[in-house]
Amino acid sequence: MRVSVRLASLCCAFVLSQTVLAADTLPQRWVSAGGSITEWVVTLGGQGKLVGVDTTSLNPADLKKLPSIGYQRQLAAEGILSLKPDLLVGSEEMGPPPVLAQVKNAGVTVESLSTKADLPTLEHTLGRIGTLLGEPSRAANAFADYQQRLKQQAEWVSAAKAGTAAPSVLLLLSHAGSSPMAAGQDTLGAWLIERAGGRSVTTHSSYKALSTEALLALDPEVIIFADRSIAGAEAKAALLKQNPALAATRAAKNDRLLAIDPTLLVGGLGPRVPAALATLGAGFYPAAQPLTADAKPQP
Amino acid sequence: MNPVVLPRSLFIALGFLLSLALLLSLALGPVSLPLLDTLNGALRVFGAPVGGAELDQAELIIGQIRMPRTLLGLAVGAVLALAGVAMQGLFRNPLADPGLVGVSSGAALGAAIAIVGGASLGGVPEAFAPYVLSVSAFAGGLVVTALVYRLGSRNGQTSVSTMLLAGIALTALAGAVIGLFTYLADDATLRTLTFWNLGSLNGASYARLWPLLVVTVAVGLWLPKRAKALNALLLGESEARHLGFDIERVKRELVFCTALGVGAAVAAAGMIGFIGLVVPHLVRLLVGPDHRVLLPASALAGAALLLFADVVARLALAPAELPIGIVTALIGAPFFLYLLLRGRA
Repeated sequence: MRVSVRLASLCCAFVLSQTVLAADTLPQRWVSAGGSITEWVVTLGGQGKLVGVDTTSLNPADLKKLPSIGYQRQLAAEGILSLKPDLLVGSEEMGPPPVLAQVKNAGVTVESLSTKADLPTLEHTLGRIGTLLGEPSRAANAFADYQQRLKQQAEWVSAAKAGTAAPSVLLLLSHAGSSPMAAGQDTLGAWLIERAGGRSVTTHSSYKALSTEALLALDPEVIIFADRSIAGAEAKAALLKQNPALAATRAAKNDRLLAIDPTLLVGGLGPRVPAALATLGAGFYPAAQPLTADAKPQP
Repeated sequence: MNPVVLPRSLFIALGFLLSLALLLSLALGPVSLPLLDTLNGALRVFGAPVGGAELDQAELIIGQIRMPRTLLGLAVGAVLALAGVAMQGLFRNPLADPGLVGVSSGAALGAAIAIVGGASLGGVPEAFAPYVLSVSAFAGGLVVTALVYRLGSRNGQTSVSTMLLAGIALTALAGAVIGLFTYLADDATLRTLTFWNLGSLNGASYARLWPLLVVTVAVGLWLPKRAKALNALLLGESEARHLGFDIERVKRELVFCTALGVGAAVAAAGMIGFIGLVVPHLVRLLVGPDHRVLLPASALAGAALLLFADVVARLALAPAELPIGIVTALIGAPFFLYLLLRGRA
């Protein structure tokens, strides 16, 4: 009898100590690599724990104040260790593998999360980040909300499509307007176009430069442009100036050029994607009532 | 031929420089360790039972990160400089570098095939990926060099000038194929390729180090045996033949050593420019053209220079890291210009 009581209390003590430990052992110093992963860490309230980010983590802008650990595929073990992190979290592109092994050997937890553009993957990614932050319910809510917004977006698109045919859309990624690269079928750019209710006109894969003639032959109704060095109206003017042939497309004639932040095009489904989809959708179907109030068509 | 007179002061100076480079490479990094911890950590790596748990971090940093990296730098620097001496001797031209016989472009082609081809096949298993890249780069270097050598040979005679031209042609051809792969690559693959072309000692591990160390030691022992033949070659091929050297065999050995050494170095650390070109040049300015001195001195100087460059590469942007090819070119290119202008004056 006495033994079993002792055993029970021991068990209790053990369980208690385990739970306390679990709260204590949550990683407090985070290094994050991969734009959308970092954005999710921030969205789920982990910005205060970040002690370093990679060069693809550009949003929100004040992350630039943190030490940079370099490009996510070319990490250096000692540089990361000098930040004394408990956790290195990042996309599956993070590497090279020998460096990750060295970081792991030094006792840092390494969490590689997939950034594939689908909801089950996102659910897993958010779940892991939530658990590591000690905020599992916040992560679950964020995912449910995300799912809801994408569902509303899909419903909005099918309603809008009932009225008019889906516009043909070309996404161009350029640098100060010059040498634009067109988003191919397997890119996140094409994914965004489809989800916003458009029809991507390209047939190639990844990002490729198109000849002027090919551009004219595609003759898209809408052009989305993402510029890495300048933004807004200035980028639009630069694009048209550097590529005079664009002026002959339906998109330019009807002034249907939409801007998009190029950081949305890498690293999978980030927290800003639903809002971007709503904005693009409003641009694709100017006659339809926009999904959200702030999704006004671009000027 | 005179018995070799090693300029003792030069070797003392180079030995000192290399020791300093080794020490800095082990002692400096983004993680700042007190000097005493560095020493004790290094002792622990070699099995000495010093210190307690507080040294675990130092032991790990020294043993798992800085030591393999330092050894890699040592081997790559030495073997690139040795190959540079061999090529400048063979081509009797101080502007020759190991890339001339196609080994660098062949290795780059091999790497491009591995990186882009691997990615488009849905990726090689994570654990094999670095080995596939290394083996492919090494094989590419050997194959292209063998081709260049074949093209330069006719009736058992190897024409150095034909080999030079064949090297240029095959480098251009390899460049075109690399360009095609670059075009086919997606964004992420492209960045991997770009970084590989800039070289890095980052992520060195013992497992990938041993093949290179073996090759470096072999080349480092073999080439000095051909120092006299290289000296004779300075007079011209027929003169060397009349002096009793089997010139065809020497050429074959020099090309083979270069392909093996540079191929292994590139496979382990990516493309690192200027060491093979600038170091032999620099050492020749200091000690003259006697290959019996030039070869060992260049190996020491190459290793020291690469280690210094690596210390800069890991500290300049810490906690991020510069590709080392940028640093060696930043040091090498101005120096090379200086040599050119000095020669003109």
